[in-house]
Amino acid sequence: MIKRNKREGGEFSAGSMADITFLLLLFFLVTTNIDVDTGIGMTLPPKVEEDVIIPMSKDRLAALLINENGDVLLNGEIIAIPQIGETLIERITSKIDLPKKKKLVVSIKTDRNTNYNLYIQALDQVKTAFYKVRDDYAMGKFGVKRKDVNDEQKKELVDKIPIIISIAEPEKIK
Amino acid sequence: MKFEKKRAGAKQEIPTSSMPDIIFMLLLFFMVATTLREQEIFVKFTLPEGKAIEKIENKRLVSYIWVGETEKIQIDDNIVKVNAVKKIMYDKRVVLPNVIVSLRVDKNSRMGLVTDIQQQLREADALRINYSAMPKP
Repeated sequence: MIKRNKREGGEFSAGSMADITFLLLLFFLVTTNIDVDTGIGMTLPPKVEEDVIIPMSKDRLAALLINENGDVLLNGEIIAIPQIGETLIERITSKIDLPKKKKLVVSIKTDRNTNYNLYIQALDQVKTAFYKVRDDYAMGKFGVKRKDVNDEQKKELVDKIPIIISIAEPEKIK
Repeated sequence: MKFEKKRAGAKQEIPTSSMPDIIFMLLLFFMVATTLREQEIFVKFTLPEGKAIEKIENKRLVSYIWVGETEKIQIDDNIVKVNAVKKIMYDKRVVLPNVIVSLRVDKNSRMGLVTDIQQQLREADALRINYSAMPKP
């Protein structure tokens, strides 16, 4: 007869459990990505059959032109991209108290061969300028940062300093 | 006088039996907070950098268009031509009316291509776009 060893109280060691779960955790850490998608949001104009020309006073318009060599024109004057922000801040601030139809409109126009990065840098400058003015306004009037305003204050902010950016179609190659 | 340290008679051990539970919690957190890599990207691209960037709050609304260094356009799992963008995006918009199109365009692309895509998007009536950019360090 074969004798079997009978042990009392069989236990299994849970000590390595932590290691196994660590491995699982590591696996998930490696295979997944916490992908925060960041970027510059824009809204395209709806498609229209025919272009409608709306007369606009020059005082309202800030026209940015970027050509294929990377030269930037703001209202006909050559400007470096990092300076766009400062120039615009002044003009936006001066129009805070004007009625809705007199706010600043920034138009960005590029060439077909313009570098995309330059366009984004310019757009970034314009957006930064608008945000800066909103920041200052929120700080001065409500005493809070732009991101901490409540809904009512936000409405006033958007109302006073609307971000109007027009993306004009690029010129055809001549 | 004699100073004698009182020593507790109990065992000085940290109970580790709850360790797996804690790590399981961590694991669950990561499983919930992350998404699995679901799309393979065939094009090579470097995103531009910017300061005035914002996060897209609702990730479920986002649909991507990749444009690589060689000006190839990828939507979902296919390389497509420019004039096919309209149809694809129109179909997407029917399913998801307020879709945000995230343009992940290589920073050395030419504006002509970007504008062509934008024109296609306008025709498809997918007007909310987002120029994907990395935060400037």
